[in-house]
Amino acid sequence: MSGAMDEAKVGVYVCHCGGNISDVVDVKAVAAELGKHPQVAISKEFAFMCSDAGQKLVIEDIKSGKINRVVVAACSPALHELTFRKALQRADLNPYLYEHVNIREQVSWVHKGDHDAATRKATSLTRAGVEKILRQDRLESIHVGAAKRVLIVGGGPAGLKAALDSAARGLKVTLVEKSGRLGGHLHEFDTVYPGGQSASELLGKLLSAVSANPAITVVLGAEVKTWDGFVGNFKAVLSTGDAVNAGAVIMATGYRHTAPSAGEYRFGKDDRVITLPALIEQMKAAPRGPLTRGGRAVRSVAFIHCVGSRQIEGVHAPQEDGKVNDYCSRVCCTAALHTINALKERQSDLAIYDLYRDIRTYGRGHEAIYEQASKNGVLFFRFTEEAQPEIRESSVVVKDVLTWNQEVELPADLVVLVTGVKPGEVAELTAMMKLPTGSDRFLQEAHPKLRPVEVANNGFFLAGACQAPMDLVESAAAAGAAASKVAAVLSKDFITLDPYVARVDAEKCTGCEACLPECAYTGALFMNGSKKAEVNAALCKGCGACVAVCEPRALDLAGWSLDQMEAMVDAMASEVAP
Amino acid sequence: MKAHTLVIGAGIAGLQAALDLAEQGRQVVLVEKNPSIGGRMISLSKVYPTLDCASCITTPRMASVAHHPLIHTLTYTEVLGVAKNEDGTFRAHLRKKPRYIEEDKCIGCKRCEEVCPVYIRDDFEHQLGAKKAISIPFTNAIPQFPVLEPQSCTWCGACANACPVDCIDFTQESRDLFVEVDAVLLATGFQLTPIDAKAQYGGGKLRNVISSLQGERLLAPHGPYGRVLRPSDGKVPDSIAFVQCAGSRDASLGVPYCSRVCCMYAIKQAMLLSGSLPTADITIYYMDIRAFGKGYEAFYQNAKAMGINFVKAKVGRIREIEDGNLALRIERQEGTAQPEEAQHDLVILSLGLTPQWNPGQLAWEVKTASDGFVATPGAPLDPAATTQDGVFACGTATGPKDIVDSIMEAGNAATEVGKRLEIRAPMVPGGAS
Repeated sequence: MSGAMDEAKVGVYVCHCGGNISDVVDVKAVAAELGKHPQVAISKEFAFMCSDAGQKLVIEDIKSGKINRVVVAACSPALHELTFRKALQRADLNPYLYEHVNIREQVSWVHKGDHDAATRKATSLTRAGVEKILRQDRLESIHVGAAKRVLIVGGGPAGLKAALDSAARGLKVTLVEKSGRLGGHLHEFDTVYPGGQSASELLGKLLSAVSANPAITVVLGAEVKTWDGFVGNFKAVLSTGDAVNAGAVIMATGYRHTAPSAGEYRFGKDDRVITLPALIEQMKAAPRGPLTRGGRAVRSVAFIHCVGSRQIEGVHAPQEDGKVNDYCSRVCCTAALHTINALKERQSDLAIYDLYRDIRTYGRGHEAIYEQASKNGVLFFRFTEEAQPEIRESSVVVKDVLTWNQEVELPADLVVLVTGVKPGEVAELTAMMKLPTGSDRFLQEAHPKLRPVEVANNGFFLAGACQAPMDLVESAAAAGAAASKVAAVLSKDFITLDPYVARVDAEKCTGCEACLPECAYTGALFMNGSKKAEVNAALCKGCGACVAVCEPRALDLAGWSLDQMEAMVDAMASEVAP
Repeated sequence: MKAHTLVIGAGIAGLQAALDLAEQGRQVVLVEKNPSIGGRMISLSKVYPTLDCASCITTPRMASVAHHPLIHTLTYTEVLGVAKNEDGTFRAHLRKKPRYIEEDKCIGCKRCEEVCPVYIRDDFEHQLGAKKAISIPFTNAIPQFPVLEPQSCTWCGACANACPVDCIDFTQESRDLFVEVDAVLLATGFQLTPIDAKAQYGGGKLRNVISSLQGERLLAPHGPYGRVLRPSDGKVPDSIAFVQCAGSRDASLGVPYCSRVCCMYAIKQAMLLSGSLPTADITIYYMDIRAFGKGYEAFYQNAKAMGINFVKAKVGRIREIEDGNLALRIERQEGTAQPEEAQHDLVILSLGLTPQWNPGQLAWEVKTASDGFVATPGAPLDPAATTQDGVFACGTATGPKDIVDSIMEAGNAATEVGKRLEIRAPMVPGGAS
């Protein structure tokens, strides 16, 4: 190691982040201070290190032989560590001889009030980064083979489209559906907004394409029972006993309708009060003629929006897990208005009242549906979350903010609660697969803006309403996007993984086995024939739990070794107590 | 030149689709009419609902595209025509506009920009700032080549004298290129409705009535003034109003639809304003707040809790009163019935989104729908297909959409293009085809 350290020449680059950092941290001072380190050959600051020009600086300094290790002090490594590793690669330097120091999230954004202290902290963190990279080996990424099969969990429209898209790219597909039939919620609808296509025709198209495709294996009435493996080589056993070996997984576990809480708007107590899905079901069952309720013709209907959505703590009863659904369910406004227009078409004299908080007809063709409802004579009333409509004997009373909070009593033979959506029941599955969920209980994407169909866990992708409420167009797009990512992962002959895994110094290992019970990943750590600990690099997640209990220090993490950690701590501590 | 796919437009949708295809081993020609890739997103301040700095998260995508061995990027290049050949491939006629520099020599040192004596209005800053007649379009532009604006240049020669690599070429002309591809993907994006479309709002006349994209630049960390100042007199505004639906949901403007992003960008800008101007009053005049996406409702509720004023009202007219301040005639839709007048010293119009480019101008079968955006007859199940076989569309080319939905559609479009290529140009093991 010391030999490597002698020849190490570190380049330090401090980023302004266009003011994000330099408005608080004196970046010139940081660069100047680091320049004094005996093994720092170059120390610079620059407006945007991540820009092409910034990367060029690094590449040119490497190529000219001035430096052979790089530290960039900038934003979070989550954003740009990979950017710079690739830059090193382009300069023919081992990409792991790179350390990314976060002086934005950890310094400038949190120490706005004290520029001097922020500058000192940035200097200290960057110095620790230099000490770490001085002790870094030339690591090589790990290559694993990939099974050219994708496992899709959920057979609704998103799962079906993802299956067809993946199969069309030459992959084998196993599509697992919990219920006894494919199609999911598409079975519920008569027509779909905004185009008004027949849901059964759309479903028919998907189903015949799936059944005609020999690359797709459908397993109905089945769930994933056991789960093991890693990207490229996941192993699942289904409740049917089928074993699946898949290179990647698409979650398409969909949504459930929320149910009104007990007594909410007299639901369950008054049989005039039903939900939107129940109305749609009734309309589909009796597609013509006037609407009836309990054998009597319905002459007036009141729709109440945001039931089970945009809930407010203290106003609404919590869900089973004690939390309210504070999110907007996205699809219900347009779904309700689409249904209202269908009602009006079959029964033009039906009086319809629409009680809403905001009408969210945001999508392409949605506003026209809203317009049509207005033209159809639907009357709109706006209520606030604090003053909810009240259900009376044969009417609904709403405090209408559009007419200056007048209390309006509306006759209602039928009250339709426009319920929202919540994620499918997947708690057991996600716990087994160790998938993250958000505070809204939907599956959590890797980045809500830039990586909506990817999950932080390698090899998992999201399609449709398991990630967030989505309509059919959006679910189809999400499914296609997930299939695109899977095609990228599995189109290569092998999958590349980071080398940050545990490694064993067999000389030092005493075979005490203290590490084995600490490892949470089946097969990642085991005792080999010569009674020494051994690591399966493809299965190891680099958590370091084994390293912590290894007394002879035989175990270490590549890229995060104990030597490196100690040097970093020393570098920072030396300033506190010189 | 031959490739598997031509992607038209290098905004976030085009970038993402190009990357997805290239990651699947497909060759992409990515053509962008502006001098830099990055589209609208690179000019934004921060993005909702994460409040990530837009530059910070767009730049890596831009850099990955620029460095990808399978993506050939052509900036400052227009598409003049796309014709379908008999064998089902497409031949695209492109025109590379002159930057008046030799790109293979330029090192992006900015010496030309420093010595140029001519200042012109900066399009990237939406006219709020100035730039030189020869300049690199913006700090993190890719590529880092300057562009000379011939109509403003005085041909003084200062840049040519200063250039250390002698790359200025005043006689450069446009150059035509032809690309043969198996599929075409439209990611041509959006533009804002004209700021003066509603004369009663005074946009384009009253200097302190600005567009939402100007609002983004005011808030960007490296924006025209480096801080939030109003354009007329450089005063720090302390009462700011957003007028929602100023270019949408209005049949008289020819934009009857909802532009989908304005509620959220206004809320975001309001939050950022209240962060940089803690004592300012900020009001949003709206019809409905459409915070429909993941995490959006919580974002909206946070804005309310931060003290941003949400007023359900229609704004009838905006006029200038003393000192460049503005009086807004508003008709509340809740509370009182009487029209009233509200005063603010900066007004941001939440303008709507219309298509950036009309594919109908080319002689092919790609059609637009009544809203002017590319028609997608395959929706809902196949939202990327257009009326011409082999041509696909994604992002705001097919209607207003936010970044996350554009990215989702870009991925889907990459799948649809990939499916076509699988038939026309099957991949052979090992990656090449």
